[in-house]
Amino acid sequence: MLSDDIAIRVQNLSKCYTLYDAPRDRLKQFILPRVQRGFGRPARNYYREFWALKDISFEIKKGETVGIIGRNGSGKSTLLQIVCGTLAPNSGFVETNGRVAALLELGAGFNPDLTGRENVYINGSVLGLTKYQVEARFDKIAAFADIGQFLYQPVKTYSSGMYVRLGFAVIAHVDAEILVIDEALAVGDAFFVQKCMRFLRDFMTHGTLLFVSHDTGAVVNLCKRAIWLDRGRTESDDKPKRVVEAYLSTLYESSQGAHTVVGNSAARQVEDEPTTPKDMRLEVINASPHRNDIELFSFSPDAPSFGKGSATIVSVVLADKAGVPLSWVVGGESVRLVIRCKPHADLLSPIVGFFVKDRLGQTLFGDNTFLTHHDAPVPAREGQILEARFDFCMPTLPVGDYSICVAIADGTQNTHVQHHWIHDALFFKSHSSSVSTGLVGIPMTKIVLTLH
Amino acid sequence: MNPHEQHPTNPLEIVRSFWRNRNLIWQLTRRQVVGRYRGSVMGLAWSFFNPILMLLVYTFVFSVIFKARWGIGAEESKTDFAIILFVGMIIHGLFSDCINSAPGLILSNVNYVKKVVFPLEILPWVAMGSALFHALVSLGVWAVFYLMMSMGFRWTAVFFPLVIVPLILGTMGVAWILTSLGVFVRDVTQVIGILTTVLLFLSPIFYPLSTLPQQYQSLLRLNPLTFIIEEARAVLIWGHMPDWMGWTAYLAVSVAIAWIGFWWFQKTRKGFADVV
Repeated sequence: MLSDDIAIRVQNLSKCYTLYDAPRDRLKQFILPRVQRGFGRPARNYYREFWALKDISFEIKKGETVGIIGRNGSGKSTLLQIVCGTLAPNSGFVETNGRVAALLELGAGFNPDLTGRENVYINGSVLGLTKYQVEARFDKIAAFADIGQFLYQPVKTYSSGMYVRLGFAVIAHVDAEILVIDEALAVGDAFFVQKCMRFLRDFMTHGTLLFVSHDTGAVVNLCKRAIWLDRGRTESDDKPKRVVEAYLSTLYESSQGAHTVVGNSAARQVEDEPTTPKDMRLEVINASPHRNDIELFSFSPDAPSFGKGSATIVSVVLADKAGVPLSWVVGGESVRLVIRCKPHADLLSPIVGFFVKDRLGQTLFGDNTFLTHHDAPVPAREGQILEARFDFCMPTLPVGDYSICVAIADGTQNTHVQHHWIHDALFFKSHSSSVSTGLVGIPMTKIVLTLH
Repeated sequence: MNPHEQHPTNPLEIVRSFWRNRNLIWQLTRRQVVGRYRGSVMGLAWSFFNPILMLLVYTFVFSVIFKARWGIGAEESKTDFAIILFVGMIIHGLFSDCINSAPGLILSNVNYVKKVVFPLEILPWVAMGSALFHALVSLGVWAVFYLMMSMGFRWTAVFFPLVIVPLILGTMGVAWILTSLGVFVRDVTQVIGILTTVLLFLSPIFYPLSTLPQQYQSLLRLNPLTFIIEEARAVLIWGHMPDWMGWTAYLAVSVAIAWIGFWWFQKTRKGFADVV
């Protein structure tokens, strides 16, 4: 039996895919070797072998978040399938402690001919809920999936995004203690991925999460531990940062031959230009395909939010210096974020703040009005409109989806009451970018390469 | 339930798994029945029209064209033949519906093998549930027709459910084996289609067993459907009590077959994910 604090134990696990030329050879393999042995003859094999996993062992404690990385065909999905119990190992064993819910490769165990609703009920009972429990949670599941009338259509008519939405919505509501996720979030849109990330971050505080991803950034960011599989063996099992670095260096070495060392600090000179921090390459870059185009989506007041409610955020606008709302920004340009709030009661010292998150829900930057106004707070009365303006230089952002979270509170930096907090008030998308690595690009005022 | 344990093969597990998954079986069966007519204008009404039309066709063909007689005496009316025939058809339909769909059950539910830990052993129950539904509708149509011909209700008809219990168990055993075999040997589907059609003519459906020469009679008794068809007619039409001795023996064999089928299914199911 497993001790109480272990959620998953995998011991000397090996899986050999026996490749059969025809399904009936699989049946022969069931029967004939036994018969042959029974007659005292050597047993014949009817397959070719492929070892997807070889002698894998690890233990995952309750509440741990573990990421599995590795190249295609390294055995990641096989491992997850065996942990879930949909696939049987050839040797070794797996023990799990607690209810396991899984989202394996694009979509859960849906029957394509049934409607989404029916599949929710069936999947719910397969995962151990009673009919009444599913009924009680159905509205929440439907709201999480947010696929509208498609819920009443056969699942075969779904797009891959809808499929994952519904699959994720179900496993998010079955009170799983162990969650197994295989590359599920790759197809969702920005809004949904944010929602999933919020759920996962919350789940991680009490449940065990095991997930496969090619997104090494996500692994470093979410996990406390990472396991790198290479051709069916554990290559490394350590802190995610160390594992990912080792993995990436091997990956690039195999594709580029050897380490390519780029520049050194002495050759890079950065001069101070305190007035306007402008990337000196801005004009060149803006004329090239590297221009960092950032597409903005309009303010969504219905986005998930919370707060005491003594004030409501009524509009969030990203504008240019002159105050003209933008629908398109280029990284490196000066922009102005305007947040308007409507107090429903008198606020003594309101603070308005925002931060920008990337697709993983990771905060990139943000600020609030506290420091500039803590000496002279702006008390707002009911009926007035409180406007906060942030002028800043839009950093160059790597290609991807971003969201801006805004909030209004009352009090000080340390003790305050949140009145309205909107998770994803504004979305934007970065289309092409000159950033090669990192979360954001900052303006380079000068880059020089010299020979001596 | 721990998904990593061996799948239990003892006969009690048949009952336990049925009970544990009763909700799921019910939902899936309902889906199967309703889903067959999804999108059609008349919907579920088709499950009534089918037996009605068949019964009318049989009556016309056998009483008007062939002027067939079952040979039950001088008072036999024109429609008797169709009524007797139809009982046999219902029994055969129950068996063949279930058996024909069995080999494809896993292949049409690949997601349930690969994506979730699904109680696969209930899939034949779902096929059985759907076959039972259609058999019951046909029986209802038959009963209305029977009473309209003013034959009078036989009280022995209450034994009919008991008569088909052994058939259900035996069919389930065969269905479990075929469900598993169908995954590994795709030809099974074809073979079974032919076999059930052959069985339609080698069962005493279109003719009474007694009209056959003696040596063929005992051969025909080896057909598992023969006994059930004869007994069903005995309780529904002739008003005889079931042959309890034969019934008990049949039940014992059915339970054994069900267990063997279940055992085979549980032993081989680990290989499903390797080949689907």
